[in-house]
Amino acid sequence: MTQPNSRREFLKTTGRVAAATTMISAAAPNVHAGEDSTIRIALVGCGGRGTGAALNALSVDNGPIQLVALADVFQRNLDSTYAALSGHNKIGAKVDVPDERKFLGFDAYRQAMDQLRPGDVVILATPPGFRWVHYSYAIEKGLNVFMEKPVTVDAPTSVRMLEINKQAIEKNLKVAVGLMCRHCRGRMEMFDRIQSGEIGDIHMLRAYRMAGKTASAAVEPNDGSMPHLHHQIKNFHGFLWLSGGAVSDFLIHNIDESCWMKNAWPEKAIAIGGRHYRENCVDQNFDNYAIEYTFADGAKLFVDGRTVPGCKQEFASFAHGTKGTGIISTASHTPAKSRLFSDQAMTKDKMTWAFPQPEPNPYDLEWVDLIDAIREDRPYNEVERGVMASAVTSMGRMAAHTGQEITLAKFMKHDHEFAPNIDKLTMDGDSPLMPNDKGLYSIPMPGLVKNREYL
Amino acid sequence: MKKICALLCTFAACVLARADAPVAPVKPVAMQPYAEAIEHTDLSIEMLPIPGGTFQMGSPSTEAEHKDDEGPQAEVTVSPFWMGKYEVTWDQYDCWSEQLDQRRRKMMSVDATQRDVLVDGISKPTEPYTDMSFGMGKGDYPAICMTQHAARTFCQWLSAKTGHYYRLPTEAEWEHAARAGTTTAYSFGDDPELLDDHAWYDDNSDDEYHEVGKKQPNPWGLYDMHGNVAEWVLDQYDPTFFADHPKSVDPLNVPKTLYPRVVRGGGWDDSPDILRSAAREGSSDEWKDQDPQLPRSIWYHTDALGVGFRVVRPYQEPTAEERAAKWDKCDPLQIDQD
Repeated sequence: MTQPNSRREFLKTTGRVAAATTMISAAAPNVHAGEDSTIRIALVGCGGRGTGAALNALSVDNGPIQLVALADVFQRNLDSTYAALSGHNKIGAKVDVPDERKFLGFDAYRQAMDQLRPGDVVILATPPGFRWVHYSYAIEKGLNVFMEKPVTVDAPTSVRMLEINKQAIEKNLKVAVGLMCRHCRGRMEMFDRIQSGEIGDIHMLRAYRMAGKTASAAVEPNDGSMPHLHHQIKNFHGFLWLSGGAVSDFLIHNIDESCWMKNAWPEKAIAIGGRHYRENCVDQNFDNYAIEYTFADGAKLFVDGRTVPGCKQEFASFAHGTKGTGIISTASHTPAKSRLFSDQAMTKDKMTWAFPQPEPNPYDLEWVDLIDAIREDRPYNEVERGVMASAVTSMGRMAAHTGQEITLAKFMKHDHEFAPNIDKLTMDGDSPLMPNDKGLYSIPMPGLVKNREYL
Repeated sequence: MKKICALLCTFAACVLARADAPVAPVKPVAMQPYAEAIEHTDLSIEMLPIPGGTFQMGSPSTEAEHKDDEGPQAEVTVSPFWMGKYEVTWDQYDCWSEQLDQRRRKMMSVDATQRDVLVDGISKPTEPYTDMSFGMGKGDYPAICMTQHAARTFCQWLSAKTGHYYRLPTEAEWEHAARAGTTTAYSFGDDPELLDDHAWYDDNSDDEYHEVGKKQPNPWGLYDMHGNVAEWVLDQYDPTFFADHPKSVDPLNVPKTLYPRVVRGGGWDDSPDILRSAAREGSSDEWKDQDPQLPRSIWYHTDALGVGFRVVRPYQEPTAEERAAKWDKCDPLQIDQD
């Protein structure tokens, strides 16, 4: 079908060319373990993002790659993921998942990983509460890993992940964390320019993700059609033990890219937030959050998160330096359109640098970089960075939910693990968080409950 | 006394005449501009009458930047309708997508009417993962990034909400309204140098859309028909459809496949040739490239930052059968993945 030409199409095309160019890596020696150079992939967690990640993985074009196993706790997710990927016009041929390699239930992750050989890749894309459990098994099996963000939801699992990760480094496993903005070529160049002093010392950063209702953050009561555990997993953004809630899932990218440009993790946080329009929702989230992070040198990072329909929307990160400013990302995650200015108002005529457009898509690049590292056997482990981004985000959330100032040192020693037995859940068992007899869940009570985020 | 009462009845259609008073005969009202209020909000949608008529659809091969799919020109007749004076704004769109009207009604403790119950039955988009205005502004800026399915569903909602039948324009209605009786490349003539006064496009938009209604309107009072955002129409894109259907009345190429479907008028990110009255553009699955989820959403075109829509209301409201057979017909069925 001939399409009329338009600039939209032209931009898309040039964007693809640019992206394709970055994906052509030099022919690498085949150092992949096993009898052939095919990288086999298992997907654990068949939600929308996991399926998207599998699509990004299978789109990397530098050698044979194949999806061989799926795992999820819901049959409908297994079915829809299989349908979407096997029927995909570009990568459908790389999907080889017969019914006997679709695994259902809380131990499905093991069965799916059992289909792989050392050196293959498992995608961990369940809600992040399960991440340490699945990662432990992947390391045991000698697998390379792509894990979605966040990678932890509380302090004890953050410490645990750092500990577990030592074995992965020892085994030289390649482990990627889905903070794809770190792979954005525009932000990378911006980081180099900021570090070389182009906008002076960074005194303040601002990050925003203010939108209407987002994903499953606002959760209606369970209508009784499924067990509470299933209802919570289906609406995982609403429950802290599963996802870390709206703060962890939605704000981590903007927090992480801001800390990256500062080249430091903040030392403490205070925060405000509240629940205004709740109607009959039963989730544990606030409608709005405002977090103030402080770095060792006194610099601040202000983060505003909101999921209230009808209000001003902003989804961007900014850096303010003594000699200028930078737009880290403009709207959503991509294209970032990173640029620098010599003034504080970021006026067009004061722009000193802008990353050329169109820019390659970081959701693709994070996979190109990982698969390259696997095929060329270069050290590659993003877990520590991913854990710190997750922990710093949780620290801000905890400051809002408790109403207290939280230091990073204090946070990392905190003992409230949201779901200590998450590795022992069963499909027909209770959830780590059960509603009361009115169907309501325990929610944060700032100032009343100070030493943990909920009772 | 009786005379005064009759006069009153003429001026106030809703006055209930006393049983013993004569009732003034009801005459068909000529089409007038009106503002359709959206209940439980401060918003309304301004509608302008568009006369029916016959016009030459497409462009002659002599027109600068003429493309093959704009010819040969075909004689097309369309029936009268009202059309939105402006592109649908974010405020209006969010009212449906985020149920702002119903939220406000509940906050004000106002009981649901029959109409609210109807509205409740219309599907709404899944909650997005991102700010779909991409930082360019909301409020009176045009809504963007919706699929044709989303735009169609908004019209369903508006119909349920108001009791009047609203839909997307057909491609022929759109071009008839955009031309507003003109035969030139643009409704203001042939010279793209004059575009700055009439449209937002790649050279003057500063890489973003603008609030609706800031440039000069076309001869029939419609704003932003050229530029700002390209506008969804009902039709499947087919390069020879109008040439294949000469002398047709109210033509509509009912969609049978998801892509390509037609947007018209060009947007803030397009070059002047795309803004011409006859220029045609088809959608593609690449308009969802950025969507990190799979399966991709039936509601969002994450990459169509220059695509929006405006609504029309036919003067002669079709029957339910006519709607099902033609105006609302659309394949394949779009179903949300749970």
